[in-house]
Amino acid sequence: MKTGVLALQGSFYDHVQSLELIGQDYVLIKDTADLPGVNSLILPGGESTSMIKIQENNDLFSGLKKLIESGIPTLGTCAGLILLAKDVIDGETSLGVLNTVVERNAYGRQNQSFEGLVDLMGNKEMYCFIRAPKILSYEDSVSPIATIENDVVGVIENNIVGLSFHPELTNDNLYLDWLSSFLKDGVNVRSL
Amino acid sequence: MKIESTFKIKKGLAEMLKGGVIMDVVNAEQAVIAEKSGAVAVMALERIPADIRAEGGVARMSSVETIQEVIDSVSIPVMAKARIGHFVEAQMLESLGIDFIDESEVLTPADDKNHIYKHDIKTPFVNGATDIGEACRRIGEGAAMIRTKGEAGTGNVIEAVKHMRSMTDGINKIKTSDQNELMSLAKEIRAPFDVVKDIHELGKLPVVNFAAGGIATPADAALMMQLGCDGVFVGSGIFKSGDPKERAEAIVIATTNYNDPEKLIEVSKNLGEPMVGINIDDLDEAEKLAKRGW
Repeated sequence: MKTGVLALQGSFYDHVQSLELIGQDYVLIKDTADLPGVNSLILPGGESTSMIKIQENNDLFSGLKKLIESGIPTLGTCAGLILLAKDVIDGETSLGVLNTVVERNAYGRQNQSFEGLVDLMGNKEMYCFIRAPKILSYEDSVSPIATIENDVVGVIENNIVGLSFHPELTNDNLYLDWLSSFLKDGVNVRSL
Repeated sequence: MKIESTFKIKKGLAEMLKGGVIMDVVNAEQAVIAEKSGAVAVMALERIPADIRAEGGVARMSSVETIQEVIDSVSIPVMAKARIGHFVEAQMLESLGIDFIDESEVLTPADDKNHIYKHDIKTPFVNGATDIGEACRRIGEGAAMIRTKGEAGTGNVIEAVKHMRSMTDGINKIKTSDQNELMSLAKEIRAPFDVVKDIHELGKLPVVNFAAGGIATPADAALMMQLGCDGVFVGSGIFKSGDPKERAEAIVIATTNYNDPEKLIEVSKNLGEPMVGINIDDLDEAEKLAKRGW
């Protein structure tokens, strides 16, 4: 069992740290050649425009998209959520596998970035929102799993989870326990 | 409950820039080229360092119009420079909604003894450092990101390499010291004790460390990444070269694939002329920007 961590740019080493804490094997993904043997995926935070540009060089995303569509557990945080989303306001649709509409940088610029108390599957924890994308809407096949005040900030659709924030910068036990079972079994989420 | 601009949030943005390239730009047109080439952020400047060096005079914060033009033209983070110690320029940049402030030796210092107290400003700061002591002092003042102080505007990577090697040596020294030795070591390198203690516990700097100054080719970027930098700033190297767009893209790909020589060869083909460099030995001591910073 090996988790692939997209490593074109961004906070991928922070996700690696989470995986080390739960004893999960991983491989960094920069090229299509890194994909064989991967049976779960993490798409990290960073700049989505930059990641999309870098992968054009080797067309990594077509292989990645096929892999996600094969049903393996896939987690995207912040920029990772933007890569997954079917519709992106003020940005480009890339993988387009999660039936949501997200708006880039919709919580404001860096000066408006914040730590906020998120209800993640019934538990509350402070998480970082950094120039975060907003989930504007989602289709019926998508369920909310995280909220802050009145906003949905995390969703799941089959094998795919997208979060606006950065649990990998907090690495609390709730998140790590969830991550561990999600990467192994896929869907393992209590609804709100 | 929401709390804005905590140190974790400031540091967090720098974490998101890792593995990326931050490019100097002087107008909207260059900013758009940088974004389309895959830059993770742009640095909005009035003049690029090579021109500041050539033209001389007092170099100050960029005009509000230039900064606003760049902010309006791209969706990636925008950085801008304030003079060393010029906390009012920093307050103005904060008010303009800049995403990161570079308290930079490339501009003429405004204070010959003090840097800005950065904790009081919502916007995160990046500061240059030639060695571990300087890095610790800047982190103590509130810097959320560190970069090398390679000689800007020279297209010569030697100083950035020197700083990165010195930083790694300094970190290793702190890491391997007995905890009883830390105070004495802090005194020796003129560093705040708390930051030294953090480095001892973490085994690395508590903030991200980028390469900056003199990076002109994809190979330069890959060299700095292999030396352990978290990402690179490219200043004059892109828009002073023959084909800025091609070179910008090549440096971005090289920064991701820094360990892959075949990839480096592929992106280094047909790049056109690199910027003309300056030998560091040809600079007067007074012309060395890295000496600015206390």
